Amino acid sequence: MVAIAIARQTVREALRRRVFWIFLIVAVFLIGLGPVLGFLTPKESQTIMRSLGLAVILLAGLFITIVTCIYLIPVEIERRTIYTVLSKPVQRFEFVLGKFLGGFAIVFLSVAAMGAVFLALVYFQTTAVGPDAGVIRWIFSGKVPDDMIKGVILTFFQMMLLAALTIFFSTFATPVLNFFMSFFTFIVGNMSSVTESLTTSRQPITRFIGSVIHYMLPNFGNFNIQNAIIHPTSTISNENVFIRNNIVYAIIYSAVLLILAVIIFDRREV
Amino acid sequence: MAAAISIQGLTKKYVDVWQKQEVVAVNNLNLEVQEGEIFGFLGRNGAGKTTTIKMLLGLVFPTSGDATLLGKAMGDNAVKSQLAYLPEETYFYDSMTAWELLDYYGRLFRIPEPERSRRVQICLEKVRLQPDAWRRNIRGYSKGMRQRTGIAQALINDPKLLFLDEPTSGLDPIAHAELREIVASLKDEGKTVFLSSHQLADVEIICSRVAIIHRGKLLTTGTIKDLTAGERTEVTIQGKAVANGLLNRLQAIAPDTERISTDTLMLRTDDDDQITPIIDLVRSAEARVISIVPHRRALEDVFVETVRREEAAS
Repeated sequence: MVAIAIARQTVREALRRRVFWIFLIVAVFLIGLGPVLGFLTPKESQTIMRSLGLAVILLAGLFITIVTCIYLIPVEIERRTIYTVLSKPVQRFEFVLGKFLGGFAIVFLSVAAMGAVFLALVYFQTTAVGPDAGVIRWIFSGKVPDDMIKGVILTFFQMMLLAALTIFFSTFATPVLNFFMSFFTFIVGNMSSVTESLTTSRQPITRFIGSVIHYMLPNFGNFNIQNAIIHPTSTISNENVFIRNNIVYAIIYSAVLLILAVIIFDRREV
Repeated sequence: MAAAISIQGLTKKYVDVWQKQEVVAVNNLNLEVQEGEIFGFLGRNGAGKTTTIKMLLGLVFPTSGDATLLGKAMGDNAVKSQLAYLPEETYFYDSMTAWELLDYYGRLFRIPEPERSRRVQICLEKVRLQPDAWRRNIRGYSKGMRQRTGIAQALINDPKLLFLDEPTSGLDPIAHAELREIVASLKDEGKTVFLSSHQLADVEIICSRVAIIHRGKLLTTGTIKDLTAGERTEVTIQGKAVANGLLNRLQAIAPDTERISTDTLMLRTDDDDQITPIIDLVRSAEARVISIVPHRRALEDVFVETVRREEAAS
């Protein structure tokens, strides 16, 4: 399949970029720093490590996703490699899809790598016995809390949605503009409790703008279930259904963004 | 013989938003290229050659007009499997090897294995890229090696119609001659080549027909033989009388007469019958004929004359 070939090439090029590895290595280092910081305040060592770990995965995932995806299409146009691709029997939707799948794979790899280190640390923090009780017993005595796994999974889908958004912007915006647009949308999308309050404002203009922002922009805030400050009034009756709905939301929203990206790119001259 | 390329009224206009100006890159272009010929597409920088090729390949969209490639509408994905394109500069993924690059492009053509690997090898051998470079990163390639890789990628699908944009520019003489031979050999394989080039000597050797385009407008088209038909004679004249109105009197006979120094004139004429009256006039003015040199018209002469004539007219 052509889109897969393009995706493979995209991953290959993205993995060559130093900035990707810098973000990933720094993130893994910071996650690894969690247990050390935990020792400084033994009573809350678990809380510190878990909060730090999830926050680092989110932030590093955010930067890796944006910095990787803003260049995927523009760099092909700028380096003119797109000429030799689109002059072949490659449909423009296949090109955009291939770029998204490549970006998606990079997001998956980075979140998976950070998540694996984080969950491993959480696992060994919960071991019931120490290594002195025998290595095998020690290794199999840990447990990863479900919340931590769910947190990593939701961050991954949040980043998938962000990747689709960034690729959508890249079909018409320059990389610099795209960086700010994606970052701004992510921040605003994370403030869903604030934007939701605007929809009930007494001022019609504020209500209108609030509604547009709240319902049109992707609701990134819903993916942060671990953060009670952002959702002070929310009570989740069934967490599994909530997570499933968020994943479906991310997939559908990403699909819509990709369709829009294809429509724009189909009309773009290269 | 069927037309490999048929262009009807192809026009591309750009709007310069800042200067509120319309720029016509290609202006009502009509052209036919027959199957199996190597067709030279000539023009100055910015004449509209690359824009024309990009429109034919569906990379940019025409403002008006239409074209067919191998009997199908331009930009049609079905016809692209029989096309090849080598852009003006060879832009590749530098981290790949030539083998990986060709394999990638083979995948885009949906060529299955092991046929794909076979094609990669055939193409790399055909362009004479040294086998020890096949698995080296393109980043370390010379310009000639990149250009060979560029032609190899254009051959990966065994195309019927190739668009080559400046395939021999910037190469050393040996690489230049070898690549010119490779392009010329495509005709023997029955392929049609649409060659955009500034290397007029190459075009004259390998193309059967050419078109000259200037500021988006087609100025002339024809076979090399027809366009370069007729000899030109260059006459150099020296004497004091040059300053005393000889130039004007000679220009009445041969308009292409110019002063090349204070006491020397050079005139060119296509008409051999004019030579005797010119010599008589020069002698009567007590000047000397330094040389009379017959020249076969080269494609470069035709190109320069055609473009200059158009520039003077506009």
